[in-house]
Amino acid sequence: MRLPLPPGPPVTFTARLHDARTATAIGRWLGLAFAVCFATGVLSHFLQHPPGWLADRLPSRPYWGYRLTQGLHVASGIAAVPLLLAKLWAVYPRLFAWPPVRSATHALERLSVAVLVAAALFQLFTGLLNTFQWYPWPFSFVPVHYAVAWVVTGALLLHVAVQWPKIRDHFTLESPGTLALPGADGPNRRQLLFGVAAAVGAVTLTTVGQSVTALGRLDLFAPRSPAHGVQGLPVNRTAAAARVTRASLAGWRLTVDGPRPYALTLDELRAMPQHEVTLPIACVEGWSKSARWTGVRVRDLLERAGGGPGARARVVALEAAGAYRVMDMGRLYAQDPLTLLALRLNGEALSLDHGYPARIIAPNRPGVLQTKWVGRLEVV
Amino acid sequence: MTFRRAAGACGLLLMVWGAWLLVRQPEPWRIALWLAGAVAVHDGLVAPLVFAVGSLAAAAGLRLRGIPRAALIVAGSLTAIALPPLLRPGAAANPTALPLDYLRNWLLTMAAIAVLTLLYLGARTVRRRAGRSAPQVDEVPPRRLP
Repeated sequence: MRLPLPPGPPVTFTARLHDARTATAIGRWLGLAFAVCFATGVLSHFLQHPPGWLADRLPSRPYWGYRLTQGLHVASGIAAVPLLLAKLWAVYPRLFAWPPVRSATHALERLSVAVLVAAALFQLFTGLLNTFQWYPWPFSFVPVHYAVAWVVTGALLLHVAVQWPKIRDHFTLESPGTLALPGADGPNRRQLLFGVAAAVGAVTLTTVGQSVTALGRLDLFAPRSPAHGVQGLPVNRTAAAARVTRASLAGWRLTVDGPRPYALTLDELRAMPQHEVTLPIACVEGWSKSARWTGVRVRDLLERAGGGPGARARVVALEAAGAYRVMDMGRLYAQDPLTLLALRLNGEALSLDHGYPARIIAPNRPGVLQTKWVGRLEVV
Repeated sequence: MTFRRAAGACGLLLMVWGAWLLVRQPEPWRIALWLAGAVAVHDGLVAPLVFAVGSLAAAAGLRLRGIPRAALIVAGSLTAIALPPLLRPGAAANPTALPLDYLRNWLLTMAAIAVLTLLYLGARTVRRRAGRSAPQVDEVPPRRLP
């Protein structure tokens, strides 16, 4: 039995601006946001989980590098929210294209668009919720967000390739496709694009204060605020979460393993040459804030244990469990004079939540690798 | 043309690589369900809601253009990014996480947008009334705009 195809689509749209010029104008900004988001995301992935061949080549400078790129990652993702919604609004009538499928090629093209839309919505949704540490889904966030990033970037590239003639024909105000559209839509479209731009500005300004401390007063919707912290700095993993207590630290000593192993009490560490550095904590969730740290250079500690100028470090935290309990530090981080085993933060002894008695602070690294409650340092 | 084909092929390759990473995850069908769910929620819920607002406004004789439309876009976008902290169940991990009064900030922002839009509409009405009594100026031909 053959079902007769209805003569027309179930829904028709009479509203203006569902045209290729609107889609091109918004799509350009959306494409840029996704490109920045993808590049900074892949960079963050390799900084956080470097493959062996890369570990010793990761640069420790510029010291603000990760703060900038991860701030951009989250900001571009948030900016993409109004852009993606506006882009989908512009092309929504195409969902009801009639007939739904014209040919095998047409079916494949529609399938690739479905993958693009699904992956794009999924990335912005999971990424935004992750910054709020809200995980309502039954899968692991990091590997899935990473995998779908490749899917969405590939689907976007394919989409641009397929739509290229239309994009080119509507790229400027004087392009032939743009000129063929009703001229009366021009002012209306400009106003719509102004509204979308205003939305991008609004979502950016009300969240970016979590990474740009100077804009902290405008921070209305971000999961972190530079104004809220312990010793002037937000905390991610607390001592309670890591099950570290003052009592468990009684008799603490730093063990340094290497060709000439040794151990130091906190007083002995304090008696070593102290250095003060100003470095940011920059979290993978996007927030970051600079602070003043005082402590002993990691390279001095490694050298005393017999580590040469090429020595790398392995740092073990006192916490019982945790994905980042053992942290490896490539050569360029370990030998950077800015990399400290910090004992003080903003002029006070470290609080327990910031890693008392001693924590790592290194330039240009994700916050989760700035190991707190350090118990052992190894020359690798 | 060659460049287009190369870009398309690159895109396909990246998609295959991403899909390969996905199927290696435990229970990949659950991920597929969430991907499909994202489209279903947008295409079946969010978009129809937006179009319904437009249709209702049109039925009420309102033209959603210019500043009022921009205000709705801004308010909707801010609401979208404010929903996670507003709806997230459970307490924050520590006092420095989710430290803001998100409900107050959202209400204040929405109120500010509403007040500014109403002020604009009021000023426009006053200006138009004043304009009607003033001598007419020759209409300027519309510029071609984006």
